[in-house]
Amino acid sequence: MRKLLIIFGVLGMVISSVAQQITTTNIFSKMDMGPQHVLWDGTNTMLMGFTSLMMTPIDIPGPTLVYTEGDSVELKLRNMSQSASHTIHLHGLDVDQWNDGVPHLSWEVGHNDTESYYFKAPHPGTYLYHCHVTSSLHVQAGMYGMLIIKPQNANETWDGGFTFDKEYAWMTSEIDTIWHTDSIINAPHDTTTIMRLLPDYNPQYFFVNGRAEYQLSDTNVAAITSKANEIVLLRLANIGYFGNRFIFPAQLNAKIISSDGRPLPNIEIADTLVLLPGERYQVLLKSAVEFSDSISVDYFNLNTQNIENTQMIPVNVSASVSVVEAFASELSIYPNPVNDKLFLSNFPGEFLIHDVTGKSVIQGSISSTNSSVDVRELSKGIYFIKTDNTTTKFIKN
Amino acid sequence: MACLWKLRNSQLVNKLILGITLFFLSFYSTATTLNQSLYIIADSLVTVDGAKVPYLTFNDSPTYSQSNPIINLMQWDTLDLWVYNTDNTTHDFVIKGVSSVVSIPATDSIFLQTVFTTKGSYIYHDPSDFPKNTYLGLAGMIVVKNHNHASFYWNIKEHNSDWNTQLVLGNIVSWNQYDPKYFTINSVSNPNINANPLARITGQVGDTLYLYITNTGLSIHSMHFHGYHATIKYSSKNGAHVGREKDTFPVYPMETIVLQIVPDKEGEFPIHDHNLVAVMGNNIYPNGMFTTILITP
Repeated sequence: MRKLLIIFGVLGMVISSVAQQITTTNIFSKMDMGPQHVLWDGTNTMLMGFTSLMMTPIDIPGPTLVYTEGDSVELKLRNMSQSASHTIHLHGLDVDQWNDGVPHLSWEVGHNDTESYYFKAPHPGTYLYHCHVTSSLHVQAGMYGMLIIKPQNANETWDGGFTFDKEYAWMTSEIDTIWHTDSIINAPHDTTTIMRLLPDYNPQYFFVNGRAEYQLSDTNVAAITSKANEIVLLRLANIGYFGNRFIFPAQLNAKIISSDGRPLPNIEIADTLVLLPGERYQVLLKSAVEFSDSISVDYFNLNTQNIENTQMIPVNVSASVSVVEAFASELSIYPNPVNDKLFLSNFPGEFLIHDVTGKSVIQGSISSTNSSVDVRELSKGIYFIKTDNTTTKFIKN
Repeated sequence: MACLWKLRNSQLVNKLILGITLFFLSFYSTATTLNQSLYIIADSLVTVDGAKVPYLTFNDSPTYSQSNPIINLMQWDTLDLWVYNTDNTTHDFVIKGVSSVVSIPATDSIFLQTVFTTKGSYIYHDPSDFPKNTYLGLAGMIVVKNHNHASFYWNIKEHNSDWNTQLVLGNIVSWNQYDPKYFTINSVSNPNINANPLARITGQVGDTLYLYITNTGLSIHSMHFHGYHATIKYSSKNGAHVGREKDTFPVYPMETIVLQIVPDKEGEFPIHDHNLVAVMGNNIYPNGMFTTILITP
């Protein structure tokens, strides 16, 4: 009896320690030393932003953070921005006040400091994170990213929700280059006041996942490719200061299923969706037929309602793949989920790993003597490994 | 047999009619009449940085206030409303979607009696030369409830001070080039919104709180809640959105929405426009549409 109690006690401690395991994500806040971020037309601009690795250049949006519902998360922010304090506001996660990332209501992270936010991953859905210090400036400067909460079954929208075959995440934003000059972004940080004089806002660049125009044709950025009858989950988030109007081709049978991390009480079937600053939506797309078209995104001024820009994102739906083709083109990877090394079989050649926003994170080649990829530096989440003829999803633990 | 069934059927119908009548009478018997006066007064809006901008408002007394009164009714209440025009020009008056437009010559007045049978949030305003007079400040809200929960009220709006000056001088502005500089809730900006007890949401964990929002400006606003999701209980523009649980709420010009919040934790959390230009006041951060909700245990 006593032995049994000891066994149960030990078992209980093991279960309890596993249940309380904390998923830690490191994130760095940084500032460019000059205009070094290249926009679609070759213009260089200056950013403040978040990166997952110390040496990675700042990009917009910042790294996509992916967690599973119920995860206990430590989000460790190291501020290397040389100037201003920063925070991470977990937009839509409804965390407690201490971890909400609003400087005057909790705390901020000064230069060269490291502090952690703690939260339990709530409802599956699409969320944002962004700096809330002088938020009008720091968000425009580039300090934002997408945060995705997956249910336990990663191919469902939420527990008992819709299943899907592939997913895309699009984050919209704009840039007014006047705001991205050294005198604005790199102005001395005044610790005695939160007040700050800022320029008028008249953006010249309009983005999906920080890219625009011809760049959106890249499937690693935004373009959608699928097979007929495949179900695509499209996650949409607007961190800009303009409204967006998405217009979906009729063949995609767009179904709006959730907003701001909650299922809609009534699913909306629509070919148009308006997304205002701070809002998120999830949309299911499914075409029964092979076709090529574009999803258009209008960027409209919230004061005048005038459309200032339109971006087009290609959609290519091909015929359903045959069983023979699928077998021939299949890339075999293991283990999946993976902790440190991802092994590839049936594959000598070049590969590219990108996250759910399409941002490439690892590039390389595989030979018969080297058949693994070191993925230890990747944050926890969903990634895609792409070869010449196939894209395969894997999960990094 | 058919005759017997007809008799029984007519008795059933009579009972049904009586039941429905008693049901509505039970509401009506508790209904009251609110006597309200509104005075149209031309004066100034004092902005967050102390600038004085030409402005007009409806006031509940002959003394000027830069905030339009919020008229609070219960469902089935009657509103007996006198509107006095103290301005030196004619103004119109309407309760949007409820009454018809009435003209009020300078120094004259009108009387309006309305029974509010439908809960929701309504806009009263001067629709003449639209959007000029509404934009200049003549727009307030009427709230019709069927509950006694703690309620808060936001009349949200933006202002371009140069335009106000031009408009009162009789000059023309290009409405499709609107570029506001001040963003207000109940005619004040951060940090003064939290000092307005009608606007500042306070409550306790587990309370049911209601927020009535009216956008009497010209811009679309996107109000984001930290800490809590809220449920849309009413929208004058998007009825199909009722029931949605969200943290960010679009409010279109001349739209009214009603939100229900049931806080699950204590804390002080911001609520602000997520068009982050609108959290500034004359280009100064954070002097715009920014307030906090305060929830105690």
